[in-house]
Amino acid sequence: MIDAISAGLLALLTPQAMLFMVIGVVYGLVIGILPGLGGVVAMALLLPFTYGFDPVATLALLLGAHIATIWGDSVTSILFSVPGSAKGLALCFDGYPMTKQGKAKRALSASATGALMGGIIGAIFLALCIPLIRPVILALGPSEYLMMALWGLTVIATFSDGSLMKGLIASVLGVLTAFIGMDVVTATPRFTFGSEFLMDGISFPVAMIGLFAVSEMMKMSIRGTPIIDRSLVKEDSTVWQGICDAFRHWWLVIRSSLLGLWIGVLPGVGASVAGLAAYAQAAQTSKTPERFGKGAVEGVIAPDATMGANEGGGLMPTLAFGIPGGESMAILLVAFIGLGIVPGPEMLTKNLDIVFSMVWIIVFANIVVTVIGLGITPWLARLPSLQANLMVPIVLSVCFVGAYATRGRIEDVLVAAVFGVIGYVMDKNRYSRANFVIGMVLAVMIERNLHISLNLYGNDFLLDRPIALAMLAFVVFTAAMPFWRARRKRLTAAGGRA
Amino acid sequence: MTRRLRKNLMSVALLAVFGGVLWLCQDFGPRARMIPQPLAVFGIVLTLIQMAWHSMGGEEPPTMEMISVDAGAIPEGGEGRPREERTEEQLGRWGEAGAFAIVALLVAMVFTAGIFPAVFLFTAGYLILSRHCTPLRGLAWSVAMTLAIYLLFVLGLEMQVYHGLLGQWLG
Repeated sequence: MIDAISAGLLALLTPQAMLFMVIGVVYGLVIGILPGLGGVVAMALLLPFTYGFDPVATLALLLGAHIATIWGDSVTSILFSVPGSAKGLALCFDGYPMTKQGKAKRALSASATGALMGGIIGAIFLALCIPLIRPVILALGPSEYLMMALWGLTVIATFSDGSLMKGLIASVLGVLTAFIGMDVVTATPRFTFGSEFLMDGISFPVAMIGLFAVSEMMKMSIRGTPIIDRSLVKEDSTVWQGICDAFRHWWLVIRSSLLGLWIGVLPGVGASVAGLAAYAQAAQTSKTPERFGKGAVEGVIAPDATMGANEGGGLMPTLAFGIPGGESMAILLVAFIGLGIVPGPEMLTKNLDIVFSMVWIIVFANIVVTVIGLGITPWLARLPSLQANLMVPIVLSVCFVGAYATRGRIEDVLVAAVFGVIGYVMDKNRYSRANFVIGMVLAVMIERNLHISLNLYGNDFLLDRPIALAMLAFVVFTAAMPFWRARRKRLTAAGGRA
Repeated sequence: MTRRLRKNLMSVALLAVFGGVLWLCQDFGPRARMIPQPLAVFGIVLTLIQMAWHSMGGEEPPTMEMISVDAGAIPEGGEGRPREERTEEQLGRWGEAGAFAIVALLVAMVFTAGIFPAVFLFTAGYLILSRHCTPLRGLAWSVAMTLAIYLLFVLGLEMQVYHGLLGQWLG
């Protein structure tokens, strides 16, 4: 194993591989910042350039770009509350409030450092867990994934913007929106009204562009003032503060990284769920949960650490079984085939040096992203104070071009506009847009795994799957805990008054 | 429009959406409606509870005293005036109708003139009409921005250009 670790490192330390990694990182940062275009698009566009080069250099290009898009997503979430993709959603909750409080530099640097630490911890644990993880993955099936998605939905309560009822309504709307299009299980067109375009469903990035970016620009055009009026709020934070924050919350970083690694290992769950789950666990385990949503730096560090570690985890099922951990890993799988690498158990025996090369790529790419990120943070932090009259036309234009570029369908421009209006109305009436998005993310996972479980194990599938049953008990426990906590708090308050 | 009326209108709209989903689900097979149908019923129940709560004079249904998260809220420790009031106060020259009109205008321009002419005309028009800069500078900014978007999306990301209905009409 030591030989494989050093061989993997040496293969990466060639000028070509390092250059490819830096190119990938810079390219990934640009793509990540553009609305609607995340790691999947970045990797897909690089695929034609992967043939004919050294495999490690090619993997450095692809993985470097993919890792950089994660922080690129975080930047727009923190500065404008506009997540570039679903992954960045959790960063809006506390990152944007920090920006509005004049702490953009601190939030951005905490985010970059958290992602770096998460990436490194994830890579280390990935290297250690390679021999152990196989039986764990094989023990989990669709019923267990269904329980995980249900857990995600119950966690939604945590994200309720004040009113639990409105939060739940928003989630229901999100789940129903995800069902628009052809049902892949029964081949039934649902809620398409005969439209061929709607058969493909609502594109997730397009919906996000509308719900967050377009609606925020509508609000800004109404207010006529920038996100931050520098005459009222001064930028009084430093990059160093954010770096220190990430190190000060080292235990949170480790916990979040392990969560990210675990979610990454599970095929098909994805980094968007990981970021939200990390935020929820950070809030639930905090001694001062009331600070969350109002600019708590832990709310920035936890999702970024999780997403950093998630990439290492995502590699595991992709390499070991040829089962991609997410969409971007599916593209990586295509690149493997082009490079003549056959994923499977042999990857963990014969081709272990390539696996460790990828582990090293994750580590080095995270370092490069963080160095570049910390370097450009002071300039990025100035963006929210740009005049509204300049921001609105530029951002709206980029949003609509981005919506069109997502699938090359002009109808997506209209969808982005419609979701922009929906997002504006929801925000005005205090229906959480975040809950809507979480509902959309989890809907497909819930439905698919429910159908597979029913087909495989029948109606009583829970009785056949003890792990799923135990997970259901955990779901019930975590769903009941906030109610129990609230009741205890009320009783304590009543006791105090008496 | 009063706040209560707006809330009730929102609830009625939600009931219409959930009712519509329920009605459309009748055409699906049992498997296809397995999740959407009960969810729509759940949505109706939640909305009715919400409406009843408002009718009884409650400001908001009981919160869980958990974490108040609002991606777009102005973070002032949860204190301060309700957001509705703040928004009304801060209405710009064009107001809400103007914001809807801006989005509708840009979409209409994209469909008729194509993506890049629309981007150029929209940014130039916005910058000049909002008096953010002089007409000459506005045009220069718009040219630079349209060019940047073109380079990034068309040359960099190989996006197919949409020429709009006018482009198709002109051949």
